[in-house]
Amino acid sequence: MSGFETIVGVNPWTALFTFCNMLITFFILRKFLFKPVKKMIDQRQSEIDGLYTDANKAKQEALALEAEYRSHLDNARQERDEILREATARAQQREREIIDSARAEAEALRQKADADIAQERKRALNEIKDDLSGIAIDIAAKVAEKEIDQQQHEALIEEFIRNIGEAS
Amino acid sequence: MEGAFIYFTIPILGGIKITQTVVSSFVVMILLCLAGIFLGRRLQKRPGRRQVMVEYLVGLLYGLVEDTMGKHNSHWTPYIGALFLSSLGGSLIGMTGILRSATADLSTTLTWALMTSGLCWYWSIRTNGFGGWLKGFAEPVALMLPLNIVSEIAQPISMAFRHFGNIMGGGVLISLLYTALSACSGLVLNLIGSSVIVSAVVLALGAGFAALAFGRTKKLLHKILSVVVAVTGLLALVQSAGILSGVPYLTVGIPGVLSLYFDVFSGLVQALVFSLLTMVYVGSALPGPEEAEKD
Repeated sequence: MSGFETIVGVNPWTALFTFCNMLITFFILRKFLFKPVKKMIDQRQSEIDGLYTDANKAKQEALALEAEYRSHLDNARQERDEILREATARAQQREREIIDSARAEAEALRQKADADIAQERKRALNEIKDDLSGIAIDIAAKVAEKEIDQQQHEALIEEFIRNIGEAS
Repeated sequence: MEGAFIYFTIPILGGIKITQTVVSSFVVMILLCLAGIFLGRRLQKRPGRRQVMVEYLVGLLYGLVEDTMGKHNSHWTPYIGALFLSSLGGSLIGMTGILRSATADLSTTLTWALMTSGLCWYWSIRTNGFGGWLKGFAEPVALMLPLNIVSEIAQPISMAFRHFGNIMGGGVLISLLYTALSACSGLVLNLIGSSVIVSAVVLALGAGFAALAFGRTKKLLHKILSVVVAVTGLLALVQSAGILSGVPYLTVGIPGVLSLYFDVFSGLVQALVFSLLTMVYVGSALPGPEEAEKD
């Protein structure tokens, strides 16, 4: 019983078959094609996103570490400079102190020496004066022996003393 | 011009007619399912060539649905995809020459259009409630009530007829062209083949042209024309000798170009239009992104 359908017409059975086929196609494609493929795409996407996030985090961490090390390095350098400067200052200070103390000591020594000298001179002078009297007496005795007159005698003593005074 | 051929009728329930459309519909369904199962198999993190293509196409479809219906309606893609592929397959199956396009039958397109409308109504009622859905017909003013009702009824009919008409019309045009071309070739052959001398002259001319065309120029049109003339002369000679008559040689080639437009291009466009309209209609009936998030 073959033949042709009318060109514009709806056959309910055909419509029903079409409906069922559409549903079957839908369910099968959804189960076997769309859902797995979408899942795979999403999984890969999330994995890629995760990788990117991790990479970014790692980069941030690396940058932070670098900054930290840089600041450490800077601190160390500053500290070194500080220490150096301090040491230099201290050394200079010490140098100055040493020089000052040396100078003071030298001064003290010199003063002491001066004082000694002066004292020595004084002592020597006194000794000389003491000696002088002896000598004078000797001279006087000698002169007395030679019978020198009073005037000569006085002039002699005068001259002698002057000479002594000049010699000091 | 007639509709789908009826292969046989199952004599139950008042006669179930197994037509070309039914067979095409089943064939398309089976092909799509097999292709879907094959393409969706063995998916890997590192895709092969097949998987890249599949993912690209599926991603394209998801993008289209998300653009049209919104991101929250992404899960509608399988239905839209099934509709698109069924429509495309149903149109292209007609090119096999054995089966008839399933979409050149109003039963098919009207079913799909009614499915779209049914989804619209179902979701409208679910979103707005039955009262809200009914009230929607009287908007923006009560005066619009008859117009809205008409447009609601016209929507599936227009969708169905648009698709059906395009594919059917293409088929009708192609078959008309075949008839016209074979009539034309019969006419030409009768005219030239009535005398042996004319046929021989035409054949000689054609052969000469062909020799020239293939020797010197590189223009495809010249080659084709010279071959056509030569073949005309040859067939006319054969006909005048009384061996063959009325060979429809002009039907070679020309319908192929038009078929490319009417079957492939039109099939693609109609599948796209049908899916897009479904997306728009169903999308507008679905709840918005805020309400969808509450579910």
